[in-house]
Amino acid sequence: MLEPLLLTVRLAFFTSLLLLLIAAPLGWVFARKEFRGKALLETLLLLPLVLPPVVLGFYLLLFLGKNGPLQQWFGFSLAFTFEGVLLGLVLFNLPFALSNYREAFRGIDPAILETARTLGASRWQVWREVILPLAAPGLLSGTLLVFANVFGDFGVVLMIGGSLPGETQVVSIYIYELTQALRLPEASQAALVLVLISFTLMYLIRQLEARWKSVTRLATQSPSR
Amino acid sequence: MEIRYALSHPIPLEVNLRVQGFTVLLGESGTGKTSLLRALAGLLPAKGEPYSGLEPERRPVGYLPQQFALFPHLKSWQNVAFALGGVHPRNRGLSLEFLGIMGIADLAERYPRELSGGQQQRVALARALAREPQLLLLDEPTSALDVATREEVFGEVLERLRTLGVPTLAASHDPWLAQQADWVAVLDRRGLVQQGSGLEVFAHPANPATARLVGFRNLMPGQVEALDGEMAWVRCGEVLLRAEALPWVRPGKRVVAGIRSDEVIVVRPDRASSLPPQDNILSGRLLSLKPEGLGLRGKFVGALELDLLLPRHVQERLALEVGQTLEVALKPRYLHLMPEE
Repeated sequence: MLEPLLLTVRLAFFTSLLLLLIAAPLGWVFARKEFRGKALLETLLLLPLVLPPVVLGFYLLLFLGKNGPLQQWFGFSLAFTFEGVLLGLVLFNLPFALSNYREAFRGIDPAILETARTLGASRWQVWREVILPLAAPGLLSGTLLVFANVFGDFGVVLMIGGSLPGETQVVSIYIYELTQALRLPEASQAALVLVLISFTLMYLIRQLEARWKSVTRLATQSPSR
Repeated sequence: MEIRYALSHPIPLEVNLRVQGFTVLLGESGTGKTSLLRALAGLLPAKGEPYSGLEPERRPVGYLPQQFALFPHLKSWQNVAFALGGVHPRNRGLSLEFLGIMGIADLAERYPRELSGGQQQRVALARALAREPQLLLLDEPTSALDVATREEVFGEVLERLRTLGVPTLAASHDPWLAQQADWVAVLDRRGLVQQGSGLEVFAHPANPATARLVGFRNLMPGQVEALDGEMAWVRCGEVLLRAEALPWVRPGKRVVAGIRSDEVIVVRPDRASSLPPQDNILSGRLLSLKPEGLGLRGKFVGALELDLLLPRHVQERLALEVGQTLEVALKPRYLHLMPEE
């Protein structure tokens, strides 16, 4: 029980961290900037939202696996490794992170940011004292959502990683295998742990969102032209 | 302070404008008032003097957008401290001083959401003043205030701004605000059409659009028939009216004659015979009469249709009733001529 759980926590941690670094800047760009091909890029990055995890996992396996392009171009394969699963989870969770971060930034009234500059603030001061504090609850709840989502994933991990204990066997797969082997008492114990973790995470997300809404309430009044 | 600005986006606009004490930039929406203010603050690209080419953070201006744009996660004093270099306890003392200047030091620990519109405006002003600006830019300063109390609330703010002596440019379409101004500039879709003292613009608007903006409800198109010394005879439909001739008035010119509702005089029946005919006496019927504030607003139909605004004491004396006949006088010195648009 402990090994798959710790592995899942590690995967969830690194997935959330990587997505915070990748998707938060992207979220800012999508919330505030206009450029050619924006709609197309956004659609592409949000695609995993509607794509069955197994399909995403399948293409990744082709790409990362033995004889795949990665092997041919760079000489190594990521199939059935921790890193491969991590990559799959990052891609699969990108839409959740991106849309949450984008909304966190979009909730900030542009008039506030403009006015901040007329008050003599450098761009850095605007980021540190205005944008980040106002977006923080939204960023944090998006990150927690990704963290919780990793616990729920099954298809992507199974396709790319299989079920190698300590390397790619996550809690959900562990429970599935226990059930297949009719080891139901152990399966139900692991399932209960998962329910408790998920409940706690969702509760935290909900609290954060309530706080975020109360903070941005004033910031989302009608914008002036 | 003289402002010469030219901007091309979002609307093309070129203005040559004086800011003197509390100056109101009066105009309908869509004429570019907000854009001009934003350009002066450095938030829109524009060419001109002063400050053009400087980044917004380097311009010595204080800018207040319509909704004041307070930082919702910062207390009042922290909002002000932001403009003093950063939200840090070392800036607290000075922040309180600026809040004190606006008379709200006691609200220092409140968050914006705990403040009324008028209080938010004062925090935003204290924050803008903390930059020690050479010019204060206010975008529709009365629009986010409660209508019932805005005159009292903003009137006091205005007193404080006058005491400080910071030149202020306020964009607005609020005639009340323009009446408080030391200087009024009128903007329409063609650009700046008039600037002058409040009295000048209110009594002698340059064109019918401006007249509407400053509260003229009676605007009658006509044609100049003759000049008689400093007076002009103007034909409006079937009536010949006498009005003060302005230098540009020539016989044959098409004009609009305007008069304010409260300057249309209802003639007392017992005095009708004693009034000189050159006072533009018209006979007609009272079509409607509705209370407005303590006075009454009425509609007169005769040779011309006129909007009337009667103070309470006039109605008490005359006891007018809807449907009755009456006479009104359009005194030549209150009848203002403008070129037809």
